[in-house]
Amino acid sequence: MIFQKSKRQDIEMQENYVEEVEQETQDNIDTVVGPSVNVEGDFSSEGNIIVKGTVNGSVHTSKILSVEAGAKIIANVRAGSGIIAGEVRGNMKIKDSLELASTARILGDIEVKVLSVEPGAVIFGKIVMPGIEGVEIKSGRRNRKSEEVIEQTGEEYLG
Amino acid sequence: MYVYLYDSFLEQKKYKHIIKAIENRLTDYGISGKILRLNNFVDAKPVIEDEIKRGAKNIIIVGNDKTFGLVLSRGAGCDCVFGFLPIGVENNTVAPVLGIPVNEESVDTLAKRKKEKLDIGLVNNRFFVSQLHVMPSKVQVIYDRKFKVTANDKMEVVVCNFQPFYWKKDKKDKEIRVVHPQDGKLEAFLRPLTKSGWFGYKYEDPSIFPFEEMEIIGETAFLVETDGRQTKEINLKLKLAKSKIEMIVGKNRMF
Repeated sequence: MIFQKSKRQDIEMQENYVEEVEQETQDNIDTVVGPSVNVEGDFSSEGNIIVKGTVNGSVHTSKILSVEAGAKIIANVRAGSGIIAGEVRGNMKIKDSLELASTARILGDIEVKVLSVEPGAVIFGKIVMPGIEGVEIKSGRRNRKSEEVIEQTGEEYLG
Repeated sequence: MYVYLYDSFLEQKKYKHIIKAIENRLTDYGISGKILRLNNFVDAKPVIEDEIKRGAKNIIIVGNDKTFGLVLSRGAGCDCVFGFLPIGVENNTVAPVLGIPVNEESVDTLAKRKKEKLDIGLVNNRFFVSQLHVMPSKVQVIYDRKFKVTANDKMEVVVCNFQPFYWKKDKKDKEIRVVHPQDGKLEAFLRPLTKSGWFGYKYEDPSIFPFEEMEIIGETAFLVETDGRQTKEINLKLKLAKSKIEMIVGKNRMF
């Protein structure tokens, strides 16, 4: 009987194992920094990074960086896209999109193409989006003109 | 020419009918060859080198995960094609990764001769094939000479190459990770332990780092299990040796 049980367990294990292999190849999760683990230095990966612990130094990935609630990154970050629910102290340069959850705390500048922020997220820093550079210049010119107009009217008013 | 390396456990009565069926099928395919019986004290490397000098081009390992690890950890650098015939359902976790069915059906895979070049690990200039397991101890891990990973207390490190590593979060939960031998990197699983209660320890969620080079430094000597053999070390240097083994694999391999 004992041997029969072990065989059944083996078959079940093998079935689960095949299913999970398929799931893993679909998810393509590469690097996981677990809770109560500290990483120090230039942390770079070619695949996705999931941070649940603490990272000091710099973080670089060409794919997705996700920082879970309670996790902390004290580093400059460069990533393909990001999903942040934890704390980031440093400048972030994200190529595509950045999602900030309600628990996110960002202390640093953000450079990103697409940004979505949930209510409750805290940002202390400058946000730069490359898509509106041209508009900035135009608006700057307008502002100067408007400033000139204001100055003129002011002078007229004073005069 | 084929040379078959049989593990000593195959002399048990319960494996006799499987061995007979395998040998019959090998004769049917016309790939039968010399049989050598290994025991725990035989170093596989000189045995394989002698057979290569005598004209052997295919070394076939017949046994389980332990046999696979013992033979390849010594003979990985040899210039030949390796094959594997897994015997018995138990202790054969490497075979499904390579896409080889167990017992006499494995002969069909061997006869098809689908060859692949596989990566293996180097630990302190020795090969390791299946798994390296550092028992929970106070260690720090340096990856690719770039970043350092530490834990507040003890940490368990497992590096998998061909053999998958099974672990549980708790008694009910089952989570299984698998390593792909040809992905160009080894994978390391780190599980820190935190104190729970007066004497007990609790495992935290594991961290996973793919790497090409890794160094494990211990405060004191720590226990390491490499391919089933236990040693005590204070410093371990792990590297990836790319495309080191040419191996006959199955169609349903997991890489």
